[in-house]
Amino acid sequence: MRPADSGARPEAAEHEPLHRPWLGLLIIAGMAAAMTVAVAGIPREHAPLPAIARYALTIALPKWGLTEPVNEVVYGTRGFDTFGETFLLLAAVISVVLITRSKEPRRGYFGEEAAARRERSESDPAEPDDAAEGAARRAERAEQDERRSAGHAGPPTPDQTPLGSPAPETADAMTVVARTAIRVALPILAVAGLYLVAWGYSPGGGFPGGAVIMGVILLVYAGFGRQRIARVVRPRLLEAIEIAGAMAIIATELLGLPLRGSVSANWLPLAAPQTILSGGVVQLFSASELVEVGTGLTIAVFALLAMGHDWAPDEPPDPAGSGAFGESANSAESAGRSRP
Amino acid sequence: MILANYLTAAALFCIGLYAVLTRRNMIKMVMGLSLMEGSTYLFMLSLAYRGGSTAPVLLGPPPGTSMRALAHGNVADPVLQNFCLTAVVIGVAVTAVFLSVVVRIAQHYRTLDSDRVREMRG
Repeated sequence: MRPADSGARPEAAEHEPLHRPWLGLLIIAGMAAAMTVAVAGIPREHAPLPAIARYALTIALPKWGLTEPVNEVVYGTRGFDTFGETFLLLAAVISVVLITRSKEPRRGYFGEEAAARRERSESDPAEPDDAAEGAARRAERAEQDERRSAGHAGPPTPDQTPLGSPAPETADAMTVVARTAIRVALPILAVAGLYLVAWGYSPGGGFPGGAVIMGVILLVYAGFGRQRIARVVRPRLLEAIEIAGAMAIIATELLGLPLRGSVSANWLPLAAPQTILSGGVVQLFSASELVEVGTGLTIAVFALLAMGHDWAPDEPPDPAGSGAFGESANSAESAGRSRP
Repeated sequence: MILANYLTAAALFCIGLYAVLTRRNMIKMVMGLSLMEGSTYLFMLSLAYRGGSTAPVLLGPPPGTSMRALAHGNVADPVLQNFCLTAVVIGVAVTAVFLSVVVRIAQHYRTLDSDRVREMRG
């Protein structure tokens, strides 16, 4: 039995118009044919390893003291490639920050809209502050500042909520079950991530370690709310740490030039294999990579999460005064089209 | 039968490209791009596979093989695994840039439909 109003809001996927599907199918057919021909001729599972792979396997243990050739390739033989990749990541993070940033400088990722109202009215006094927009802003502000507002007398942290009370409705913290699970999982996760970087089979693993650190921060944010991470997740602090990581990588790679005669050469003494300092410069590179990737991904994720209004002028209020969603959406699109 | 992996990767790539070419919802275009990225990970890891080989770790070789055999090539290709590691990080970063651009377009034009964004028509 289907509910009576199921026909009123059909699934978007059923009615989504495609953009020139036949041309797309034609291109895809050609692409599939070309790729099938291409993969039929490439080496299969019994081909000998390419020369660079055999070279990496041969020198990993004697020259770098590493028992893991993948790490040797990432930070040693192809270290320059990883160097470039790091700065591609940095460029992507800077792009995200540039695209998502608001007009005024911000001290934190959330809750800065209220503080920016004066600047906004000064920089763009012509922007009308109509009733609907004002109500939306008030609601947003109330949601963001609920804990600080005088009218709300909730506990200062979600952990002091008495057991049995309904879950927090402002979605700033999860239930006690989720919070306990996060409390148990967090130290294990953090230690596992750092172990991956420091020890493992051999040093290396800055990329997955950085991703794990970002996961730890996101878990705290999801479970306990933004106030718990506000002291750490600040744009100024994170950006400074990220740039410090990038500078450490540059120094690690470039110091090989004066000390050993080539960029990304090992200029540190080798320790015994399978110890925390084995691999010489690899451990330094990997730890800097951990800092760079962990903070970079965190900056990108929180910049996206905290993306606010882009200050484009809102469309004038609809003179017809239609309240239906579809009608107002259409008028918004026509306003978008007529914009210069 | 590593050829099946190659063909699956090619099929995934084509599905992603089809989504990018024909979908009008920009979030779905980004999803198609992510699918294309994922197909390259599958392709590179399949290319690194060697029949009857072990992981490229020079420690505790499986019974019947020696360290010398490991070092002389009876392992998966470590260079392609390195490529895949690099590609995963770049894929995440590029997807973040795409999504932030999509959010800005959606805020500016009040639509996610690429055909209704005048600058993307054509």
